Amino acid sequence: MVTVRDKVDLLVVGSGAAGSVFAAEASAAGKQVVLLEAGPARTPDHLVSSQLWARRHKWGGAHVEEEGDHRVGHNFNAGWGTGGSTMHHYGVWPRLHENDFQTFTQYGQGLDWPLQYAELRPYYDRIQGTVGLSGDAIQERWRPPGDAYPMPPVPVFGQGRLLAEGFSRLDMHTAPLPLAINTIPYRGRPACLYDGWCDAGCPIGALGNAQTVFLAEAMQSGAVVRNEATVTRLLTSTDGKRIEGVEYRSADGSAHRLYAEVVVLAAFTVQNARLLLASANSRHPRGLANSSGLVGRYLMTHPTVSLYGLFDAETQPALGPTGGQLINQDGYDNKLAVKDAYGSFQWIIANAVKPNGLLGIANNRPDIYGSQLKPFLQRAVKHLGVMTLVAEDIALRENRVELSSKRDVFGVPLARAVHNQGKPSAALVAHAVQQGKAVLDAAGAREQWRGPQAGMHIMGGTVMGVDPAGSVTNSYGQSHDIDNLYIAGPGLFPGSGAVNPTFTVHALALRAAEQMLRNWP
Amino acid sequence: MEPLQQRRRFLKALLLAYPLVSGALLLSPAEARQRKLPLSVLDAEEAADLETVIEALVPGSAGAGAVHFIDYQLARPSADSLLMLRYLGVAEPHVNFYRSGLMALARHSIERYGKRPAELPAPALDQLITDLITDDTQDWAGPPASFLYFVWRSDGIDVTYGTEDGMAVLDTPYMAHIRPEQVW
Ligand SMILES: Cc1cc2nc3c(=O)[nH]c(=O)nc-3n(C[C@H](O)[C@H](O)[C@H](O)COP(=O)(O)OP(=O)(O)OC[C@H]3O[C@@H](n4cnc5c(N)ncnc54)[C@H](O)[C@@H]3O)c2cc1C
Ligand code: SF4
Repeated sequence: MVTVRDKVDLLVVGSGAAGSVFAAEASAAGKQVVLLEAGPARTPDHLVSSQLWARRHKWGGAHVEEEGDHRVGHNFNAGWGTGGSTMHHYGVWPRLHENDFQTFTQYGQGLDWPLQYAELRPYYDRIQGTVGLSGDAIQERWRPPGDAYPMPPVPVFGQGRLLAEGFSRLDMHTAPLPLAINTIPYRGRPACLYDGWCDAGCPIGALGNAQTVFLAEAMQSGAVVRNEATVTRLLTSTDGKRIEGVEYRSADGSAHRLYAEVVVLAAFTVQNARLLLASANSRHPRGLANSSGLVGRYLMTHPTVSLYGLFDAETQPALGPTGGQLINQDGYDNKLAVKDAYGSFQWIIANAVKPNGLLGIANNRPDIYGSQLKPFLQRAVKHLGVMTLVAEDIALRENRVELSSKRDVFGVPLARAVHNQGKPSAALVAHAVQQGKAVLDAAGAREQWRGPQAGMHIMGGTVMGVDPAGSVTNSYGQSHDIDNLYIAGPGLFPGSGAVNPTFTVHALALRAAEQMLRNWP
Repeated sequence: MEPLQQRRRFLKALLLAYPLVSGALLLSPAEARQRKLPLSVLDAEEAADLETVIEALVPGSAGAGAVHFIDYQLARPSADSLLMLRYLGVAEPHVNFYRSGLMALARHSIERYGKRPAELPAPALDQLITDLITDDTQDWAGPPASFLYFVWRSDGIDVTYGTEDGMAVLDTPYMAHIRPEQVW
């Protein structure tokens, strides 16, 4: 039991996507692992099917201040509790493309990654085998090299069929959406029921998240999750060369210290940067791992816009996974295709929707109220089609996480996330939205409208790179400054690509965990 | 942790329920309203104005207990809140958002229409809603009016259509894995 020792082998801050992979690998290798998780304990029984109850899975820690014309939407995009954001994530798991990795060299935009797709590919393939992905690699004509999916794709319901016809009439293509969702029983987990409750968490375990896969493995090998344990500071040795452990607060507010051979910071993008900055000491006056001055910098979020159409035919919008049924990445590989614009984009097609919630049917037409509302909802629950744009963001130094002058209940400065959209990225979104409208027209939508632009996923802030002066970590997420400190999660991404990040988060974490174990101090 | 093997489960069914004294009395927000149970955060005038406006935005939401729902959420620790506001980037405590919004609304209503929202005749109430939507609000000292409109409308929708009963009214299947059985 950890309580009799105040030092463990591996201490992981955060029990989400990235932390759970480190924990599983290290505990399987015989290391004593503790995960400190700020949020509450969550088991499948807590995953009540309700868009109201789903809100308990959203970030419940210290307030994050936001600024800028394109905010990252922290509290919508961040989860908390066992499993982190993955607990109620939608399992849309495409791979980055080969041209996402060298954007500065190839296009003069953003930053280069310190590794290429080919180096990451084996880790994508292994994660895919462990988690189980459904999809159709052949129909994904744009997909970079990789193993075929171990499961057949999700079925296509009414709205998916109609929207696919729209793409097809414009000589565009759709393929089944690659999903970390079982379509057949896989490794002891059941198949999906296509009831659209992913946002509230999938209690049957059909969706591959931290709890159903890597955290479960870690705990079987003896890893321990301490919930309601909020890390407030990372502690270094007096010479500043090693990380020794962390300070954390438990639910009753009492302060504790836990020491470890290696610390993995996996508290998601904004909190990772915040903790590093807030842990400044005399040896690291600008914050830990921050000799480059880049901790917090290059914050990114995917610009996203949802388009909606009403069709004459029934569309079954209640059915299917929340994440969607189909994908289009036709133009992904030409980041310079649109004048004055830069970047790739994808369409995620036919999301299952509920009447309420921020992404729900009613809130996608906020102009309708009063006596018009019910007739609209009655029609839309049967005839709505949805497709969602995910566009590339450009890593800009001025977009950042910094410390606020305000503090949380434990005295730690709050994070302020500042994010503005670059012009080429805005031009890309404008182009893509026009394309999407044409698709809805071609699909036969009687009426169509668009939602506002928002930020989806949060990346950057602790970017990886080759040059210690131009990045925070090496390609394994290991701090350039402190060898036994690893940083994990999408905060490492030097570029956003235009795909959902969590498959890549897993692949990077697996690669990093293996390097960590090979070089165990 | 063993992966859950069971398929969809239907629990015996407390529907959405509302706790009063230490969970001793479980009621839906609608029942709480019918019984005129006291609110713990909002005062009578605030509650009346809020109910009037939300009902105008989402007909049926007053009877569904929107105000009791909001009041209960505002009274609990924000990490447990089921209000949509928790992920819209508004600093806590969220009661400040609702209270300052209601205060601004009442002041605007009195200045422009001579009465509080709860006392307005239908045409003036319609106009008040239009003011909110269009941010046609001079000397407004609260959260942006159109944002309040969005949040209150959404609260009304939550209570009216985000439940099993609400989805049944819309004739769309609920298909719960685990039905909401705990108190709000
Ligand atoms: C609604 C939703 C849907 C999504 N859908 C998709 C999708 O379909 N596809 C996709 O690729 N991605 C999706 N994502 C994004 C995905 O969930 C994240 O990219 C991923 O979980 C990030 O992994 P992480 O390990 O860095 O952080 P998380 O999984 O968020 O885990 C971080 C954990 O750290 C904890 N923590 C934070 N601060 C502290 C502290 N000080 N002390 C202790 N613990 C702390 C948090 O409570 C949290 O549990 C979705 C996210 C959301 C919210
Ligand atoms: S749609 Fe499938 S993955 Fe999503 S909650 Fe339902 S069963 Fe789980």
